[in-house]
Amino acid sequence: MRFFILCLLLVLNLSASVYQKNCLSCHNKLPIKIDKFFYRYLLKYSSAIETKYAMKLYLQNPKKENSILNPALLNRFGVKKKTTLSEKDLKKAIDEYWDKYKIFGKLK
Amino acid sequence: MLKNWDINLRQSEKKTLLSFFILYLFFTTLLLLFMAIFYYNTQKDLMLKDKRVGLSKYANDEIKRLKYLHVNFDRVPRIYPRDKRFKSAIYDSVYTKIFSLLDSSDVDLNEDIYLKDGSIYYIKELESYYLGTKYVVIEVKDDGIWLKRVYKNLAIYGGGILAVLLLMGYFLLYLLLRPMREAIELLDRFIKDTTHELNTPVSTILSNIELSSKEQIDEKLQKRLNRIKIGARTISNLYQDLVFLTLSQKIESKKQNEDIAELLQERLEYFSLSIESKKITLKSKLSKGISLHVDKKKLTKLIDNLISNAIKYNKINGTIDVVLAEKYFYIKDSGRGIEKDKLDLIFKRYERADRSVGGFGIGLSIVSKIAQEEGLRVEIDSVFKKYTTVKVSW
Repeated sequence: MRFFILCLLLVLNLSASVYQKNCLSCHNKLPIKIDKFFYRYLLKYSSAIETKYAMKLYLQNPKKENSILNPALLNRFGVKKKTTLSEKDLKKAIDEYWDKYKIFGKLK
Repeated sequence: MLKNWDINLRQSEKKTLLSFFILYLFFTTLLLLFMAIFYYNTQKDLMLKDKRVGLSKYANDEIKRLKYLHVNFDRVPRIYPRDKRFKSAIYDSVYTKIFSLLDSSDVDLNEDIYLKDGSIYYIKELESYYLGTKYVVIEVKDDGIWLKRVYKNLAIYGGGILAVLLLMGYFLLYLLLRPMREAIELLDRFIKDTTHELNTPVSTILSNIELSSKEQIDEKLQKRLNRIKIGARTISNLYQDLVFLTLSQKIESKKQNEDIAELLQERLEYFSLSIESKKITLKSKLSKGISLHVDKKKLTKLIDNLISNAIKYNKINGTIDVVLAEKYFYIKDSGRGIEKDKLDLIFKRYERADRSVGGFGIGLSIVSKIAQEEGLRVEIDSVFKKYTTVKVSW
């Protein structure tokens, strides 16, 4: 039984996406949900191309100056560490993040 | 007898005046059209300026609702905010449509406010992109009241201006015509006076020649008298042509059955001296018993002009053929002929295909006029430097 559960967890871990493994795993532990970051990006950058570019730029080179968090939250949580993901995986993760929370097609 | 001459403008002059008037009308209309377009655009801009304040308020209301939806996107139903007063749409920074309730899918986001297909569009750019929105578009129906006012004003003032401009054009034309009319009047008066003064001396010369011919005179003197007679008859014909041209409309037509062969023979005899003087061989083949219901004087004038031309434009020792058949007669000379490109012009008054001999160029114009009045058809066949045949058919 224990072996079976271990195998299931392994399969689930292997089938998880880059976004789920490398973004959600940490963000889920934070008090601020990951979608809030998305809406802040959207508020500042509007289009898909500009939003994705800003996210990529920040994740590859995180600084206070290019963060979308307000100063109070920045002081509390600080600036995150630089991503270890490859260019390809980072793009995949950002694309999934965009598709999950984008506004297009969700309004009635 | 020669009072009350009509001053008629020539066809080409009428054409010129008509062209001037059409051109004037065209430019006047063009000018008015530009003015109307300018007026329409000004009024449209004024209307849009008036509407702008109200539409800006609508846009602000919509932005407030978008802000609320953005902040509470995961907590409230995701229903796009609607308003009965207007229709709206939202676009992102690269002009991609996020959501739209507009009737038109084609919106110019670079404009501030504009009118299209009976709707007014107002575009507001956001500072904070709620739901990713950079542009909010507000659409309202145009009530068209301003347009009705514009059309009404254009009809009243545009019509008024057009009337004034046309009146000005008329006076301009009148001023333009005055010197031309004066010149034509002067020329016609001169011709009238000259013609009138010609009648008496020519008649005197001709009657005295006739009297002298009956007396016993020597051959040499007879030849001289004949030459004088030809010259006097030429002047007499010219006089009659001019009288016909200027008074034809005032002379009543007297139609009766005329024997054409007899008339042709009579006129050939009348011109016999001129024919002889140029040593022209006359060949006539006149079928008997052909008559036409025509005005004798006019037909005589027509025939005279044709014979006179056949002599005038013939060469020395040339030939003239006169043939009369059931449905036509023709007069053929062996003269200079007429160039092809001039054939269409020769029936015009004062138009002359050949200027090497004397004349005013009114002969064929008279022929054409009489033919029209008497229901005859005139055809000209000519080969340059060989012959000219004028065929009159009925």
